[in-house]
Amino acid sequence: MNRDESRNELGVLRIHKNVISSIASIAATEIEGVKRVGRDLKSGLAELLGKKFFSAIKVDISKNEEVKVQIPLIIKYGYNIPEIANRVQENVRLALEKMSNLSIKEINVNVQGIERG
Amino acid sequence: MRFFTVLGIVFYAVMIMVIGLALIVFALNLLLPADINNLLIFAQSSHNSRIVIGLSGALLILISFSFAQIILGKFQREKTIAFTTSSGQVTISLSAVEDLIRRLAGIIPEVKELRPNVVANKKGIIVEMRVVLRSEANIPELTSRLQDITKSKIQEVLGVDEQIIIRIHVAKIAHDEKDSRRSKDFEKEDRSTIPFSGYGRV
Repeated sequence: MNRDESRNELGVLRIHKNVISSIASIAATEIEGVKRVGRDLKSGLAELLGKKFFSAIKVDISKNEEVKVQIPLIIKYGYNIPEIANRVQENVRLALEKMSNLSIKEINVNVQGIERG
Repeated sequence: MRFFTVLGIVFYAVMIMVIGLALIVFALNLLLPADINNLLIFAQSSHNSRIVIGLSGALLILISFSFAQIILGKFQREKTIAFTTSSGQVTISLSAVEDLIRRLAGIIPEVKELRPNVVANKKGIIVEMRVVLRSEANIPELTSRLQDITKSKIQEVLGVDEQIIIRIHVAKIAHDEKDSRRSKDFEKEDRSTIPFSGYGRV
C-alpha cells in the first residue's frame, strides 16, 4: 500500500507516503537542536544523481490505516538527544494528525549523527 | 571514504553498462562467436596481453573486495543505543556518539587528534579513544580529565544511566608546528636585531 486512502460522498482522498514523509521532515526540522534529516542508501544515491525528491523518512501504513514513521536525524552538537527526540516525536505527531487526520501508531527516531550547529 | 564509495558505484555502473552493451551487440549479431573466439585466442597467444589480463583480474578482485568492505563497514556502524518513549522508539547510532566524542577534541586544547570507537554491550557503553596529544600535555592529568569530560558529556547528551567505560590510548605525542615555527621566527628576529651576533671570540 503506497498511499493512505479515505472516501467521502464526493470521492476518494488519497495521501501519498511522500506527503507524510514531507510533513514529518518539516515538523522534525522545526525543532531547535535538529540539524537536518539524515540519509539512507536510497536517498543518498538519489542526492548523488541530483534528485532531492527521495526522503530518508520511512512511512509504513498498515491495513487498519495506522501510520508508522521512521525518521533518521542529525542532531546539533550540545543538545540533549532524548529531549530533542521526544520533542521531534511530539511535533511530528501533532503535524501529521493536524494535517492528515491519520492515526499515528509509532514515530521512531534514529539519531544518525551529530554535527556542529 | 565517501570518494571511494562514489568511485565504487561509478565503477560498478560502468561495468554493468559494458556487459549490457556487449549483450546488445551480441544480440544484434554485430559480434560473431568466431570474432569472440579470435579475440580470446589473440589475448592468450601474446605474453604481454596475458599479463595485462591477469593484472586487470587482480585489480577487479581488489576493487570488489574494498568496496564490499566499505559497505559492510557501514552496516556494522549501524549498531545503536535504543530506548522507548510514549510516541515510539529512539535509536542513537553509535557513530553519532563517536561524532559527539570527536567534538571534544575542540574543547581540550592539549588534544590534537581524537579517534573514538564506541561499542555498546551488556556491560554498558565502552568508549575506546586513540588520541594524539600536544607535546606540552601532562598525560595522567589530561587523560583523567578527558575520561571525566567524555563520561559526563555522554551522560548529559544521551541521558543514559548505563555504565560508561572509557579507555584511552595515547597513540602519539605530536610536536606543535605552530610553536616551533614561532620559536624559529623569534630566533631569526633575535639574530637579525643584533649586528654581528654570529661572531664570537675564540
